[in-house]
Amino acid sequence: MSITLDKDTDTATLPERIRRFPFPFLGDQYRYSANVEPANKNVPTDAGAWGAGLIDIDEFYHKELADREAILARDPSRMAVLPHMRPAVWDTIATLLPAMAAEYPDIMSFHREGNACRWQNKLQDLDVQFTVGDDDSLPTGPLRFLGTQIQDDIVLLDIRDNTMWLDAGLVTFAADWSFNFDVGMSFLEIHGPVPRVKEENIISRAEQFLMRLQPGEQFRRTNWTMTVGNRLDTSTETYPEWGPDRGTIATDPDMPDKLHLRVEVQHLIRLPHTGVLLFLIRSYLLPLRDIAKVPTWRQKFGHVLAELPDDMAEYKGIIRYRKAASDWLLAG
Amino acid sequence: MCSASMPPAAGTGLEPGFRGVICASFGATGDTAGQHTGVQPRHDLRFKAANPEALSELRSVLERSHVGVRLVLAGPPADIRAAAAAAAECGLQQEELTLLSDETAPRVIYCPHCHATTTTVRPAGSEVQCRGCATSLATTDHFSRRMGAYLGYSAHAEEAS
Amino acid sequence: MTITALPITAHPAVEGGLQLEVTNISPQTESIVSITLADPSGARLPSYVPGSHLVVQYGSGVNAYSLTGSGNGPTEYTISVLRVEDGAGGSVAMHQLGVGDRVYVSRPRSAFAPASTATHHLLIAAGIGITPVLSHARAAADRGTTSSLIYVYRPGAGAHVEEARDLLGPALTECSDRNSFQKVLAEQLMTQSLGTHLYVCGPVAFMDAVLDQARELGWPPARLHSEAFGAAELDDGEPFTVNLVRSGLKLDVPSGASLLETLEKAGKTIPNMCRKGICGECVLPVLRGTPQHRDLYLTDQEKAENTTMMCCVSRSEDPELELDL
Repeated sequence: MSITLDKDTDTATLPERIRRFPFPFLGDQYRYSANVEPANKNVPTDAGAWGAGLIDIDEFYHKELADREAILARDPSRMAVLPHMRPAVWDTIATLLPAMAAEYPDIMSFHREGNACRWQNKLQDLDVQFTVGDDDSLPTGPLRFLGTQIQDDIVLLDIRDNTMWLDAGLVTFAADWSFNFDVGMSFLEIHGPVPRVKEENIISRAEQFLMRLQPGEQFRRTNWTMTVGNRLDTSTETYPEWGPDRGTIATDPDMPDKLHLRVEVQHLIRLPHTGVLLFLIRSYLLPLRDIAKVPTWRQKFGHVLAELPDDMAEYKGIIRYRKAASDWLLAG
Repeated sequence: MCSASMPPAAGTGLEPGFRGVICASFGATGDTAGQHTGVQPRHDLRFKAANPEALSELRSVLERSHVGVRLVLAGPPADIRAAAAAAAECGLQQEELTLLSDETAPRVIYCPHCHATTTTVRPAGSEVQCRGCATSLATTDHFSRRMGAYLGYSAHAEEAS
Repeated sequence: MTITALPITAHPAVEGGLQLEVTNISPQTESIVSITLADPSGARLPSYVPGSHLVVQYGSGVNAYSLTGSGNGPTEYTISVLRVEDGAGGSVAMHQLGVGDRVYVSRPRSAFAPASTATHHLLIAAGIGITPVLSHARAAADRGTTSSLIYVYRPGAGAHVEEARDLLGPALTECSDRNSFQKVLAEQLMTQSLGTHLYVCGPVAFMDAVLDQARELGWPPARLHSEAFGAAELDDGEPFTVNLVRSGLKLDVPSGASLLETLEKAGKTIPNMCRKGICGECVLPVLRGTPQHRDLYLTDQEKAENTTMMCCVSRSEDPELELDL
């Protein structure tokens, strides 16, 4: 841990979105790695801290959940549950709601008696009762309901025959992938398009690790990319909407405000009753202008972007503008 | 007709112990006649394509079968993938399945922007116009067994403006 | 809260686990007793995957026992223990437990999970092997999936027979001799629908015989599941000594404790993240000795060179390792 700002008071004046941002770079270089660590560990950053809890609720809660509703209304294919995954969806609910109640006791509560549950969420003036295992006990169905309570995207990977299978999920904020297309694929097939990782054996090592997790264990990792505009839905589905911005942002005078570092905090949880792997993806966006307010972030991110090999920049979709971004950051 | 070469690697054949084979072929190029299945009972099915009627007949044959059976599917990739998905829903394991895929048959491209699929005979890597939304699709080798299709995406989105 | 009935220290295998109270003891047969455990405060216990086991500490040792419930939101755990007179002492100690006693247990561990896509479970148990299979039958009933059970036991020595009868009705076949079992097994193996998976638990020779016969009748490995305690986890390993050359320290790494934990206890700060042998953070340079590599990080070639090791999971093939530390 190191606080490189001159005075701690400097960070206190930063807005919450910066202080809570999970800045992912420890040095001036980035490569793929199986950067997993136990969940629920507070990580101090040069601007604040992140990661003390499992489910992070922040100032964007209502906005992001409204975005999700609108996306699902337009495109129901963002959610899918193969029939054998129904118990895992309930396992997810029975795991996450009590965890949220424990993390936010002032605004949330969860009670369970047998399979009968009551969930209260003061942020939404919500008081709902349902029965674990009974899909009809929640009007929208269990997975869609959970998607109205947490900002995270939800992916469920079944483990059978020594392989992980993406067999259910609700993903409205995909970063350049199509959830619907990947449903039913194995973990290795899903990652087929990612460069380097095959040679470096990262995906199969990660799969072995995840399959060895014991039920109840919780790990996490971060991943990052960049997004033009303050939008979380950069799915393959909507690529024709957001793709053009990639071609114009490098020369846009508003680049520092429009171009965002997107960080995903991904939780990996082996569900206790089904043994299914729950993969939660919580996405954070911070514009370059905000990153530049933290001198060490400005430097590190600037160097990472300048140094990143072309194939990785191409895959992340940032190759057209990473130099402009890096130049701006390092000029500061 | 060529041997199985589609991702993921198809079943390697008929391991010892199996107690019967169902051979299903699709279209003009699907042919399981040359497949040696030994002395075990063999049940042949011939379909024009993996349409709902064909899949429903395949399902009903599989539902009457018992563990120990093997399934051989031959024909265009899209047809045998759809049949393989139906077989998996009936409980058939990957190891119990042999795919004989006709790589010269048309490929199916999925458009994530409008969810339509387009069949093409053009080689992998070439662009295809989506028959649903007319978008020019770049094609990838990212393949979904559930959809029996390869992923496409708008080829020129980043050049649009 | 009184903890006087507990051993002073928790065994590494149950560290991070639970302290539970015995709430019921119920004899199943002359040599098998069912023990029910609950949280002393009455709190709900962690759910578990059907077929899971619990590591229970007795004195300074530990034993693994299958849980017999469905695993869905339990308020108590029930295990059944066969008394083994010439064993390591665990089962005898378990048979001496009384209501109100406290025990250290691990969190439930899964190594015999049901296949989610199965539409029918063919369960096969011999003797005390009934316990995890009963868990499967209960979970299947919970989820609306069918199951059938072939249960082999010596007359008068069958545990949980009444429960199995209630749960399975005509889907239960009881066998008390080898010949009738062989006949039932062969018939069942040849008449299962394609959605069926097979689960077997019992003596090793029994399981091998069942699995061999299934394979001969065309059952592929993906459909076959057998209980092998601890197969999914690393064993405690043999004790060894590390010689930290630069610090001039010698440390004993006991069985059940990792090298990383031992170094941390000695005040060494080793960078680490996953503590599971995948992230590569806790790499240590090895000067002499052959590490027993148990990580997923190093390549086969790096492992063969024996110049580095992941201290969170890897141990030593030799009695002593020399580290550049």
